Amino acid sequence: MQSQKTNTGEQGLYAEHKKIYPREVSGYFTRLRMLSVVVLLGIYYLMPFVRWDDRQALLFDLPARKFYIFGLTLWPQDFIYLAALLIMAGLSLFFFTALLGRVWCGYACPQTVWTEAYLWMERKIEGNRGRRMKLDKAPTSAAKIRIKALKHTVWIIFSLWTGFTFVGYFTPIYELGGRLFTGDLGPWETFWILFYSFATYGNAGFMREQVCKYMCPYARFQSAMFDSDTLIVAYHPERGEPRGSRRRGTDFEAQGLGACIDCNLCVQVCPTGIDIRDGLQYECIACSACIDACDEIMDKMSYPRGLIKYTTENAAEGKGQHILRPRVMVYATILLVLFGLLVSNLVLRIPLELDVIRDRNTLYRETRDGLIENVYTLKILNMDEQPHRYILRAEGIDGLKLVTDREEISVEASSVYEMVVRLQADEFNLEQRSVPVSFHLQATDANHLSIIEEARFLGPGKT
Amino acid sequence: MVSISPLPEKIPGIQKAIAVLWPSFATAIVATGIFFSAFHPKDLVPFNLDIDVSPLAAYSIGFFLFWLLGIVSSYATMYFIISNCQVLNKQQGQFTK
Repeated sequence: MQSQKTNTGEQGLYAEHKKIYPREVSGYFTRLRMLSVVVLLGIYYLMPFVRWDDRQALLFDLPARKFYIFGLTLWPQDFIYLAALLIMAGLSLFFFTALLGRVWCGYACPQTVWTEAYLWMERKIEGNRGRRMKLDKAPTSAAKIRIKALKHTVWIIFSLWTGFTFVGYFTPIYELGGRLFTGDLGPWETFWILFYSFATYGNAGFMREQVCKYMCPYARFQSAMFDSDTLIVAYHPERGEPRGSRRRGTDFEAQGLGACIDCNLCVQVCPTGIDIRDGLQYECIACSACIDACDEIMDKMSYPRGLIKYTTENAAEGKGQHILRPRVMVYATILLVLFGLLVSNLVLRIPLELDVIRDRNTLYRETRDGLIENVYTLKILNMDEQPHRYILRAEGIDGLKLVTDREEISVEASSVYEMVVRLQADEFNLEQRSVPVSFHLQATDANHLSIIEEARFLGPGKT
Repeated sequence: MVSISPLPEKIPGIQKAIAVLWPSFATAIVATGIFFSAFHPKDLVPFNLDIDVSPLAAYSIGFFLFWLLGIVSSYATMYFIISNCQVLNKQQGQFTK
C-alpha cells in the first residue's frame, strides 16, 4: 500500500493531542476482539501460576540465570535459542502482516488489549461516550471527583496486579506473593512492580492511541509488508458517496446520494480517532470497530452490509483475491526453515557443557617420576533436570595419564560442578611445546550425554 | 528549496520525550539481555571490592546504565536534527521574505 495517507487534519503527526472518547460498539468483530482480549489477558495473569514438575512452568529466573519454559531449561549459553525465538516472532509478524494486515495491532498487541481493558473499566465507572465527554467538560464538583477517584483507584489496583504478575515471570510468583503479604519484598522487586504498574497505567489509561501513533515502530514500517492483496479495513467510496442524511425508506439514489448516511458513528467508535472514509491511514490499527458500527447502521437502514469492510486493494478494484503470493510464500518458507532448525536443535541439544581452564600460574611442572604435568580446572555444567554421573578421560598424547581424585563424577540437576584435574605425559611423547589434548566427558547413565572439549598441554618441547 | 514542515519548534514536548526515552528504553532491554548473558554480575565488581550486590540489583543497575547511555545518544540525535532544521528554516525564511 504505497499511498497511505497521513491524516493532515487536526490530529496530524505533530499536532497537539486531543483526547479521544471511543464510542462503545457491538458486533461480530467486536466480539472477536473481546474474545482475544479475554484469552490473552487470561494467559498473562494466570500463566505464572501454572506448575510444571514442582516449579513454575514459565519462569525467567534472573538471579539463577536460568529460563524455564515448560520442560525446557535454558542457560545463558543457550541465548541463541531465545534470539531465534525472537527472530521467529518478528518474522511471524511480517507473515501475518502480509496476509492479514494489521491484525496484530487490532487484536493481539498488548497496547490494544490493555487499552480495551482500561476502557472497559472507564465505561463501567464513567458511563458511555456522551457521559464521559460531559463529565470531562463539567466543572469540578464532589460528584466528578468521586467518579474520577473511583476510576483511578480501580485502574491503579489493576495496574499493581499487572505489575505484580509481570515480576512473577522473573521471581517465583508464589514466593513473591508470600513476601508481598509479609512485607519482605526486595527493593528491586518493589521497584519493578511499581515500574511496570506505572507503565501499564500510563499506556493503557492515558497514552492509548498515542503509543501506536508516536511510539510504535511497527506502525511506521508495517506498510513495507503490505501489498495490494493484504487485508485492510476499507470504506467503499463508490457505494457510499456522496454521503448525506436522509429519511429511512426513501429512495436515496433518486436524491443523488450514496449509501453513507454520514452518521459519523465510524469516527466515534474509532480508538485512534480517524475517519476511515478518508482512505487508508497509518493511524488505523485495523480493529474493525467501524465495520461493526457501520454494519449496524446498514441493517437499520435495510441497506446491504459491508460499506466498510475487510477487503484488499485488489478485491476492492474487482481484481479478485490472491492469498498465495510470492511475498507470503517467502515469509512462510523462511519461517518454516527457522522453525525446523530451532526444533531440531532443541531436540538434539545436549544439556551438558564442559569448560576447561588451564592453570595460568605455572606452564607445567615435573613430577617425581619425571613426567610432565599440567593442571586444569574443569567446570561441568549439567543443564539437565536430572542428576547425572559422568566418567572423564583425556586423549591426545601417547601414554597420557589423567589424575583425578574420583573415578565417577556426580553432578546435581541444573548445576555446575568444578574440579581440578592433572594430566601427566612423558616428555619423549611431546612433539612440541604445546600439544592439543581433549577431555571426553561421558554420562554413565545416559548414552547421548557426552561432550569433547579441546585444551592444550604445555611442555618443554623437543630439545 | 526544500520545504521543511512542520517547524521542529512545534513538536510537542511529550513527543520529544517519547523520541528520546522510548527507543533508548527498548535498546537498553536488548543490551542488558545480551550483556548479562555473556557476563555474570559477580565477575564485574571492579578492583576486587567487597561489594555484595544481589543479581536483581546488578541487572537493574545495568539496565539503567544502558538506558542512560541510550538517552544520551537519542538526545544528541534529536538535538542535531532539530537544530539543523532550525538553521534550514531560518535560511529558508531569508530566501522567501
